[in-house]
Amino acid sequence: MALFEVSGFKPELRGKITAAGQTHVVDRPNHYTFGTKTQEFAVPLGVDPSGFLKSCSQDGGVCIDLNHGTTTLAFKFRHGVIVAVDSRASAGSYIASKEANKVIEINPYLLGTMSGSAADCQHWERLLAKECRLYKLRNNHRISVAAASKLLSNMMLGYRGMGLSMGSMICGWDKQGPGLYYVDDNGTRLSGHMFSTGCGNSYAYGVVDSGYREDMTVEEAYELGRRGIAHATHRDAYSGGVVNMYHMQEDGWIKVCKEDVSELIHRYRKGMF
Amino acid sequence: MPSQDSMEPTFSLPIGLPLSSSHSVPLPFPMSHGTTTLAFIFQGGVLAAADTRSSCSGLVACPAAQKILPIHSHLVGTTSGTSADCALWKRILARELRLYQLRHGRRLSTGGAAKLLSHMLQPFKGTELCVAATLCGWDGGEMDDNQMTDVENSASLNLEKAKTQCLSTAVGGQQCFGRERSGPSLYYVCSDGTRLKGTLFSVGSGSPYAYSVLDQGVQWGLTVQEAVSIAREAVFRATYRDAYSGNCVDLYHITSKGWTRRNREDLKEEYYREKERQSGDSQRIMVKDFKGKAFRRMGGEFTAHSLALCRKVQSKSLQLGVKGVDCQSTSRY
Repeated sequence: MALFEVSGFKPELRGKITAAGQTHVVDRPNHYTFGTKTQEFAVPLGVDPSGFLKSCSQDGGVCIDLNHGTTTLAFKFRHGVIVAVDSRASAGSYIASKEANKVIEINPYLLGTMSGSAADCQHWERLLAKECRLYKLRNNHRISVAAASKLLSNMMLGYRGMGLSMGSMICGWDKQGPGLYYVDDNGTRLSGHMFSTGCGNSYAYGVVDSGYREDMTVEEAYELGRRGIAHATHRDAYSGGVVNMYHMQEDGWIKVCKEDVSELIHRYRKGMF
Repeated sequence: MPSQDSMEPTFSLPIGLPLSSSHSVPLPFPMSHGTTTLAFIFQGGVLAAADTRSSCSGLVACPAAQKILPIHSHLVGTTSGTSADCALWKRILARELRLYQLRHGRRLSTGGAAKLLSHMLQPFKGTELCVAATLCGWDGGEMDDNQMTDVENSASLNLEKAKTQCLSTAVGGQQCFGRERSGPSLYYVCSDGTRLKGTLFSVGSGSPYAYSVLDQGVQWGLTVQEAVSIAREAVFRATYRDAYSGNCVDLYHITSKGWTRRNREDLKEEYYREKERQSGDSQRIMVKDFKGKAFRRMGGEFTAHSLALCRKVQSKSLQLGVKGVDCQSTSRY
């Protein structure tokens, strides 16, 4: 390349640079790796991110604790999938935003939630959206929820131990019906009927486990999702703001509501102490 | 004050040894409060509930432990943390409260007991002592007849006046200054020095799961039956998600007449009842989808299989003495 010659760069080192020189390979029509064999970010030589992070999480040293400070929940029921998230973005004890958007609309049939590091979530889920779009253009049919979640989890596995922080739920409706997968920065990928992520998840689990029935009506399901987030924000310091709720139906998702949690709590706790 | 009222623990520490000594035995594994206990105040008194699993670093050491320990007739304490520490300090507290009662002719209030426990634990702050207890009690009110003397008659008259005064302002949870408050009372005491007065507490690793269920349902105006069912559901939800809580649930109800204990209930039954409900629902759906139009009318009824299972669960629950519990009794919001 011209720039290499001008800068006097040694060509034998070219092979050691990973992603930067290989982006043109990714877009060929017969590429089936979906962006997972080649890493998105080049890791500089001599730096070992996973070793550095291991030394950080030992007792007695500096402890970098990556908490997923949010509450998100999603559950499958007879009439689809309900996704509900809060909207507080915190940086330590500072509330960076009270109206953060923690749901990414990948396509009209696929949604992704975000918890953990906001930057990591936004970047990787947008990358997932790009891969899903490319899949549809190449294969003329929409990607399944299982495949989309597998793509995301493989991306996470490529950087395992290097300090990514992301807990996400991929929800959609494909040929197999409603789909719900939980994908983690460790590479965990689980299919299930109900998940909740973030440090407020335990509060949400209590409420949703208590009121969940497979044959709920749509209104009951909306109320359950609202209550789960509202009670979690009531007890968890890192969750708050508004409840953003989506309903994944057979013909796509709809955004149900955006309600302030303080008003919800006030409504629910009327008549209490 | 004479030395009999001193707050020092009965075993003496070697003089000159700092409490956080350099050659203390390190803990074998990091301690966490592996339990679920909860307590709340409502119009019918105080309700305390806890699970019964005692765990030791991943092993269930005892599936039938007792985490709610009665201290005296009108005071009960839930325990969380190290079982040995909690049991010992509860007994020491019970002894001190009894001594107070014999010396002064009346029971110490719950707030006083909480302060006493907190001060007794204070010398051990910074060590690995781990006690997180909620003290649930009923203050003032009924007193034993044989303890009444002339002096105490006038004291009790004052108490009666205070009670009516306090009850009229008690609804908003406000404090009554200048007089001893009577009625239900709930304090949280922790070995790191925390002492909090409140109307709803849940302690332990399962507490977040219980908190959200309690936040949904607990109000002042609950009946005893409703309060029991909410407490049971909260402990069940915590045992459902938390690995360190499980087995059975203990319920204690404290009123002006003292504490009463309900029969211990195995949460396994509740779990199977819920599984039954879930599978009964999904069976109904399958009938609707795969059979023809003639069977669609059956959609609202139980299939024979799930009906038989429900009957079996009901008879089993009657056997255990759990009365009045059916599939609809667990709280749905």
